[in-house]
Amino acid sequence: MNVAASGQFPLARTRSTQWAAPLATVCGLLLVAATAEIVIDAAVGHSILIPKQPPIAGWLSGIGERLGYRVFLIALLAFTAGYAGLIALGRSVSKRFAIALLAALHALIFVGPILLSTDVFSYIAYARMGVQHGLNPYVHGPLSIAHDPVYHYVGQDWKKVATAYGPIYTLISYPFGLLGVTGALWGMKLLAVLASAGTLALTWRCARVRGRDPVSATLLVGANPLYVVYGLGGAHNDLIMLLLMMGAVALTFAGRDAPASAAVVAGALVKATVAALLPFMLLARRSLAQVWGALATLVLGALFAYAVFGADGVNVVAALNRDAAFVSTDSFPNELAHLVGKPGVFPVDHDLLKVALVVIIVHLLWRTWRGYDWVAASGWALLAISVTSTWLLAWYILWPLPLAVIARDRRLLIATLAVQGLFVVHQLTPLLVPVG
Amino acid sequence: MSDGSERVASSRGSAFERWLAQLPDALRPRERERRGTGQMRLVETIVLLLAGLLMAIATVNDVVLDTHVNHRLNADLRTWRAYTGHDYKNVGVEQDVLHYTTTDVVCGNTTPGPPKQRTQICLQMTGPIVHSHRAARGGWYLPPKAEDLHRYRYGCFGAPKAEGKCS
Repeated sequence: MNVAASGQFPLARTRSTQWAAPLATVCGLLLVAATAEIVIDAAVGHSILIPKQPPIAGWLSGIGERLGYRVFLIALLAFTAGYAGLIALGRSVSKRFAIALLAALHALIFVGPILLSTDVFSYIAYARMGVQHGLNPYVHGPLSIAHDPVYHYVGQDWKKVATAYGPIYTLISYPFGLLGVTGALWGMKLLAVLASAGTLALTWRCARVRGRDPVSATLLVGANPLYVVYGLGGAHNDLIMLLLMMGAVALTFAGRDAPASAAVVAGALVKATVAALLPFMLLARRSLAQVWGALATLVLGALFAYAVFGADGVNVVAALNRDAAFVSTDSFPNELAHLVGKPGVFPVDHDLLKVALVVIIVHLLWRTWRGYDWVAASGWALLAISVTSTWLLAWYILWPLPLAVIARDRRLLIATLAVQGLFVVHQLTPLLVPVG
Repeated sequence: MSDGSERVASSRGSAFERWLAQLPDALRPRERERRGTGQMRLVETIVLLLAGLLMAIATVNDVVLDTHVNHRLNADLRTWRAYTGHDYKNVGVEQDVLHYTTTDVVCGNTTPGPPKQRTQICLQMTGPIVHSHRAARGGWYLPPKAEDLHRYRYGCFGAPKAEGKCS
């Protein structure tokens, strides 16, 4: 028995270790190939999956074919399979390989067109409203600049809608409004890539502090299919929010409470959702410096927003209430409504979902008070917000991911990846029965 | 290096901390979770698994529903093309997903041109899919650039004529 234990199992382990590096390379190449396929085909344009946009990737357009649902979904599934392989190989992936892979994925997405969402054109429209037309984006929708070249690219549903983003993000976006639509688009893409790189660097750092393998943790975030294809591909401002969120976590780990809470509030002034972290941080640390840091940033941000945008720039609650009433086909409440034979979500369902979210948050706050990991609790809160929301988009289920990879509770990572998996499954209908 | 789970030392002696220390054990904040029976974790895990199972069933159910809808959509398009003799790509289908009936209305141009830019013919499809097609019970015409609203419909034929679907 001892001979077998000392002879055979180490040999098997050696064999599996020998295979791990080539397998990881194959998985990495699968990710790169799937991304390249999507980007090259998307560059051709004229696809329902690709928003109307200036021809920023025209030099790629002669290589591929128009991106259809079938190719896109097969590429997404291949990407997901490669990602699952990388996760399974975990610690066998070298630091150098992981960084090269993430850099390649970011570079591919950066040189290609905007994927799957018109949101970035709304960001540019709001910036141009402010700096080119002297209009307040918290009062008017892009319809008020119907003669502007960016208006043509704004999503149909958002043409009449004033911005729901925080005043810090609106101010960050203003300089891009001076660059013309194409210049602004490149600027937004660069901002998304830099924010993503920062988020990944901070994830690496936080994972090391927590005693987790930083390579696996960073790959789990940066090579995630929804993160790369939807988040980075659409140049979403959620990446800036994630950067500030991970900055706050890293600062807390470093014992710098005031800047940490200030970073959370700054993140909430980019996109309000990240404010969910603050009560958990406060309960876990119970530091006066945190309270002062948060209050000072909030007061400064509110004064600044009021001075630049007036009362509408401060009233984020109204914008959040408006958006909370929207319903997307991918949201879980909508799917549950179909399951019980209803055509969709009704107003009473919104109220029930709010009650469920409050119950979950209160439970998590109590658990944090009694010593549960505040990072995990924050991640659960963000996951609960996205799952109970009737307006669910792919990049919303990225919010808890950087926290999940460093949390002490591994159930959070499993739940986050499971929710993402269900989201991918829900996209598969056109692959099963294509319409033609 | 600390990972921020522990409170800051400077606040330990504060009045607030002294007040917290006087709370009963069941209410007092803790630095780390106490190793218990794991009952809370078990209950949480069961709730999570049940919620996950429900979400998975709802997702698969939605995919199956959408698959049926796409299947019907393809039959509608095939029927419209067979009936009109036009192999147009841009044909609009309006499905009655609100009341879960199988009645669909398929509209397309009567002559080549951009979508809805020519006189359109709309067919009302009902019933099951037989040999990849469905039954067209009748229909109506729409002028160019008009949406399928009652006030724009004319020349009703078949069942819609009897139902008074034209103005």
